[in-house]
Amino acid sequence: MTSRIALLGNPNTGKSTLFNRLCGLRAKTANHPGSTVEHQVGRCAIPRGNEIELIDLPGIYSLMLELPESTLCVDCLEGRIGQGRPDGLLIVVDANNLLRNLQFAASALRRGIPTVVAINMIDLAERRGLIIDEGAASECLGIPVVAVSARTGRGIDRLLVALDGLLSTNAASPPARPLPHSEPGSAASCAWAADAFARMAAHSPTQHDASMTAHDRLDAAFTHPVAGILTFAVTMSLLFASIYWLAAFPMDAVDSIFGWVGAALHGVLPEGILRELLVDGVVGGVAATVVFVPQIVLLFFLLALLEDSGYLARAAFAVDGIMRRFGLPGQAFMPLLSSHACALPGIMATRLIPDPRERLTTILVAPFMSCSARVPVYALLTGLLFAGRPLAAGVAFTGCYVLGGIAALATAALVRRTILRGPSAPMLLELPPYRIPSIRGAAVVAIDRGIVFLKSAGTVILAIAVVMWWLSAYPTIAPSPESVDLRNRAVALAATDPERSVQMSADAQRLDDRAQQSGSFAGQLGSICQPAFSPIGLDQQLTVAVLTSFLAREVFTTTVFVLAGAGSEADGDDLGTLESVRSATRADGKPLFNTPTAGSLLVFFVLAMQCLPTLVVVRRETGSWRWPIAQGAYMSCVAYLAAWITFGVLS
Amino acid sequence: MAASPIRIPLSQLPRGQRASIECSALDALTNEHRCLLAAMGLGEQCEVRVCRPGTPCIVQIDQTRLGLPKGIADRIMVTPIELTTP
Repeated sequence: MTSRIALLGNPNTGKSTLFNRLCGLRAKTANHPGSTVEHQVGRCAIPRGNEIELIDLPGIYSLMLELPESTLCVDCLEGRIGQGRPDGLLIVVDANNLLRNLQFAASALRRGIPTVVAINMIDLAERRGLIIDEGAASECLGIPVVAVSARTGRGIDRLLVALDGLLSTNAASPPARPLPHSEPGSAASCAWAADAFARMAAHSPTQHDASMTAHDRLDAAFTHPVAGILTFAVTMSLLFASIYWLAAFPMDAVDSIFGWVGAALHGVLPEGILRELLVDGVVGGVAATVVFVPQIVLLFFLLALLEDSGYLARAAFAVDGIMRRFGLPGQAFMPLLSSHACALPGIMATRLIPDPRERLTTILVAPFMSCSARVPVYALLTGLLFAGRPLAAGVAFTGCYVLGGIAALATAALVRRTILRGPSAPMLLELPPYRIPSIRGAAVVAIDRGIVFLKSAGTVILAIAVVMWWLSAYPTIAPSPESVDLRNRAVALAATDPERSVQMSADAQRLDDRAQQSGSFAGQLGSICQPAFSPIGLDQQLTVAVLTSFLAREVFTTTVFVLAGAGSEADGDDLGTLESVRSATRADGKPLFNTPTAGSLLVFFVLAMQCLPTLVVVRRETGSWRWPIAQGAYMSCVAYLAAWITFGVLS
Repeated sequence: MAASPIRIPLSQLPRGQRASIECSALDALTNEHRCLLAAMGLGEQCEVRVCRPGTPCIVQIDQTRLGLPKGIADRIMVTPIELTTP
């Protein structure tokens, strides 16, 4: 049976960096039944060839605090979640902050679980002049202690040996000085930590002077009520613009690969339902979503770099003043920022907000934040609106995020002044040190998120793509007399005027495609609902695309391609996914996407609640269907109204 | 008889000023905030340095920096250690 080791430590000790160093991509996000806070579970090989399971618990300041993260850690240590008590503990402490971290380690050691302590960021500590005597530290705590640098990999081999020894022998011995029985922060605990630090520090750095440091200046600038917000706005704009520029090449590559696969299947498979299903339904449908994976991976990569640099914690304070005016607590910043990745972890992270009214408000507005599932839709629609103008597309992309944020704040203000009135709780936050972000760590996060998205594309989106293909391909509509006539004339002209013959064949194909689109099941469904969406500029095809994206908004791009793009592919045109959508036409021959329609759709997708899992999680978190139903109805109304205004203005 | 040390709210210290958190300095806080701050490193008998006065009030304890809202910084009574020119 695989041994289980729990990783425990204060926030900002580099615990997750160490976890990623040990497990790499062999990790997955877990959420045990009954627990509310996400944590990672991964596997890592130890020297004797065995594997251990590592559980990366959330960073906490104390096991005694009445906070959800602390409760999760205690439940894990006491075996109330997962598969019983862990076989061992790996406590990660920050070498640069030993006085506080040692107090936490002592309180965890009192649990009596076999433990190894990793003193992380030892390279930074040594640069400051702090030298740790590992032997003295082990003697002091009565357990193995290894100094490591999770970023550079220093000491990782010795740490694995220590973990191996932990599981094979009872390496514990009585600590040099009895562990304090009080919690971290108490006078007794502080005195014990000071004594332990004095024993293990072979050389301590001199105290810094009281003059203003470069860190102070940066903190003052980044948390300034005006300069801080401007910096945040510029940073996020540059981030999103760079996503456009940097992702262009890999997106083209992905597009080409799927085009090649589709063409190869088209050539190899005999004509018939299987070829149509695979080429138009499966390959075409999945390509329309997978083509945006580079943008999603880049977004998470850059966000992870920003977080690791220490900047985001300062940005939280910069926006805190604004958020308070809208009745949201400072603690809502991180759940709302997480909602930019996905509303689900964001909503679950709201459990960190102690005040129930503020928490409920944050849950209600979190889905307004632009999640990664919206990225493909934004990329498609801003790409259509600003073809060949990446800077303008980048600004529009940023505008989507801003619009979502404004809608969230306005809704929060409305809710906090009406149905959920009450005072706001203050924000206390540790500001991690500024540092050069870890490329490797950010890459692991980004790849992990990309894999999650690809798994989604391989399951839900693939299934919906196939269903959409079937709905749009059946019932088969016979060619109209006009198209039959055009084809006959094309055959007759083939020898004398080949150019005109090809043109006539193409026109005949377009007539057939349009007849198929309007006569298919999808077309019939679109016809029924289209009058309701006509005021925001949607035709029958786009109505179908919006309806199918109610369960998962990213499906919109897939549906648009399957409904509007398959005809072009069937013509044998050498068009990429984006280009085929751009050139798609309506039943009357006009472009499927004109500026007013693309604009109104963009606004609609920024504001609409089109995610079934989010509604389910809101129901779970609020304990009632009343809130998700009200939330879904409110967001749909706001989205429709805003899209209608946008369509009117742009028309 | 020696004069008792001056105790002023943390929020009133200028940038760069050091101060000590003496016994009962956190009494004006709620138990929840007192326990959290202590676990974060800002407990009795620790020494702080003001990195940024105002909102947020950023203080440094050992190598940790904490951001505190003004409402909390107002209620932490500290004893200035030395006066510095910012």
